Amino acid sequence: MTRNEGLKLSTISVSNLRKTYKNVDAVDDVSFEVERGEVFALLGPNGAGKTTCIEILEGFLHRDGGDVQVLGVDPGQRGQQQWLRTRIGVVLQELAVESFFTVRQVLERNAGFYPAPRPIDEVIALVGLAEKADAKVKKLSGGQQRRLDIGLGIIGRPELLFLDEPTTGLDPGARRTTWELIRTLSGEGTTVLLSSHYMDEVEALAKRVAVLRRGQVVATGPPASLGGRDRGEVAIRFILPAGIAASDLPVTPTSVDASVVEINTNDEVVVLNEITNWALQRKVTLTGLDVTRKTLEDVYLALTHEEFDDAKGAANG
Amino acid sequence: MAEAATTTRRHLLPRDVRLVVHQVRYEQLAFWLNRVGAIFTVVFSVLFLVMLGASAGQSRVPALGNIKLIVYYVPGFVAYGIMSACFTTLAINLVVRRETGQLKRLRLSPLPARVLLVAIFVSTAIVSLVQVVLLLIIGRFGYSVHLPVSWAAFALVLLVGIVSFSAMGVAISTVIPNQETAGPVTSIIFFVLLFLAGLWFPLGKHSGLAKFSNYFPVLHFIKAIDAPFKFQPGVSPWAWHDILIIALWGAGSVLVALRKFKWSPRRS
Repeated sequence: MTRNEGLKLSTISVSNLRKTYKNVDAVDDVSFEVERGEVFALLGPNGAGKTTCIEILEGFLHRDGGDVQVLGVDPGQRGQQQWLRTRIGVVLQELAVESFFTVRQVLERNAGFYPAPRPIDEVIALVGLAEKADAKVKKLSGGQQRRLDIGLGIIGRPELLFLDEPTTGLDPGARRTTWELIRTLSGEGTTVLLSSHYMDEVEALAKRVAVLRRGQVVATGPPASLGGRDRGEVAIRFILPAGIAASDLPVTPTSVDASVVEINTNDEVVVLNEITNWALQRKVTLTGLDVTRKTLEDVYLALTHEEFDDAKGAANG
Repeated sequence: MAEAATTTRRHLLPRDVRLVVHQVRYEQLAFWLNRVGAIFTVVFSVLFLVMLGASAGQSRVPALGNIKLIVYYVPGFVAYGIMSACFTTLAINLVVRRETGQLKRLRLSPLPARVLLVAIFVSTAIVSLVQVVLLLIIGRFGYSVHLPVSWAAFALVLLVGIVSFSAMGVAISTVIPNQETAGPVTSIIFFVLLFLAGLWFPLGKHSGLAKFSNYFPVLHFIKAIDAPFKFQPGVSPWAWHDILIIALWGAGSVLVALRKFKWSPRRS
C-alpha cells in the first residue's frame, strides 16, 4: 500500500471524475484540488452533483471514471476504506442521530469506533452543548442537533471533514453559530469540504469554491473572484435630475427606467469621474447615486440559471 | 445477517470483539430506551400469555391429547416472542435506521460493517432470550406449566429460529420503502401468519388452514418449539422436519438480504 502522505500538499485531488446514473451523467468530467487546511466549497443547486461528488470521495459510491485521491489514497479501493474512515469525519444532509440517546451517550458510542478519539467533554464544549450534555437528542433545537452532528463528525480527530449542506433548514441565528463552529475547526487545521446552495455561506466560509451545474464545474476560484466579480461589471445608478434629458448626460446610459438611470461599465472610476464633474459644473444633484458590483448571487444565478429554471418544476434531488 | 454471524466468527480479531461488545451495549441501550420497540416485543408477548392464561388457559383441547390450553400457549408465545423480536422489531428498526440515514452514517464511520451486523444480531438474540426466560418463568410459576423436557432440542430450535427469523427480518426490511409503512407491513404479515398458524386457537391437523400454513415458517416454528416440551405422547422433542423448513426460509432470506441490503435511504 502506497500512501503518499506528505508528498502532496493536496488533501483531495479529483481529475476527470465521472458518475452515471441510468445514462444520465450525475458527475461529468469534474476536476478540483483541495489543499491541506483550507475550506473548499462545492456550490450548486439541488441535483447539480454535489452530494454524488462527496459520496465518491468518502468511498460510499463507486465512480465510473476519473482519478480520485483523498489523503493520498483512492477511496474507491475497498482495502483503503477502513484506513480512510478513521481519518475523515462525515456530516450528512439529514440529521442521522438516534433521537432517544442523550448527547453524551451518542458521542461516547461513536468515540468507541476510533483509535484515538477526542475527549467527550472537549467535543461537547467545542460544539457548545455543555448545558445539554445529558439532554435527549430529540429535545435539542435544530441548530443544537446540527452542532451535535458536527461533534460526531469530529470526534475521531479527522484530518478532513465533509459537511454536506450543513445549514440547510436552520434559522439565521443557528446558521451563524454553525458557521462559527466551522471556522473554529478550520482554525485548528482541519481541512473542510463543504457543499452548499447558499451563496452567502460559501462567501462567509470558503477560501475557494467550485460551482457545479448539471454535474459539471462551471467556475472555480476564491468566492470574491467568481465569474470575474472582482473585475467585472459595475452598475452606476442615479435619478435623472429634473429638466435634464438622458441625451444631455456626458455618458450614454445603459437604460433609463422610470427616471432611474443605469450605466453598466467595467471602468467605473473614469465614468464616475465624468458624471460627477459634469454634475458639479452644471450644479445638479445626482439623487440616489449608487455604485454596485454584481453580488455573488447574481454571478451564481448567471452561472447556474438553466438549472435554476428547471429546478422550479422538479422535485428535490 | 445470519451468514455474517457465522462466517465472520472465524475472522474476528480482538479489536473486532471489543467493538462488537461496545456496539451491542449501545444497541441494547437503544432498544430499551426506545420504549415503543420494547413494549411491542417484550411486554406484548408477556401480556398475551398472562391474559390468555387467565381467560381461556384452563379449558382443555381434545385435539392435543386433552391438555390445558395454557400448556399449548407457553411454547406458542415463546415462538411469538422470538419472531416478534427477530422479524417485526428488527425489520422496523433497520428500515427506520436506513431511512433516517443512521445506517449510512455508521457505514461511513470506522465501525466495520461486519461488526455492526454481528452486534445487531447479538442484540436481537439477547432480546429474544430475555423474553424466553420471562415466558418460561410465568408459565412455570404462574400456571404450573412444566419446562422443556429436552433442553438440547429446545436450545437448537431457539438458535435456528433466532438466526432464521433475523434473516427474514433483514430480508423484509429491504423491500419496505419507508419508515411509515414498516410497522403496518411487518405487523400484517406477522399477525396473518400467526393466525393461520393457529397460535390463538390450535388448528386441526388436516384443515385447509394447516395445509396453507405448512408453506410458511411460522406454523413450523410453533411446532418445533412445542416439541421439546413433549406434551403430546409419541412426539419426538427433535422436530427435524420443522427445523429444516425454518432453516430453508432462513437461508433464502440470507440470499435476499445479501443481494438487496441498502445502507442509504431509498428516496435518494
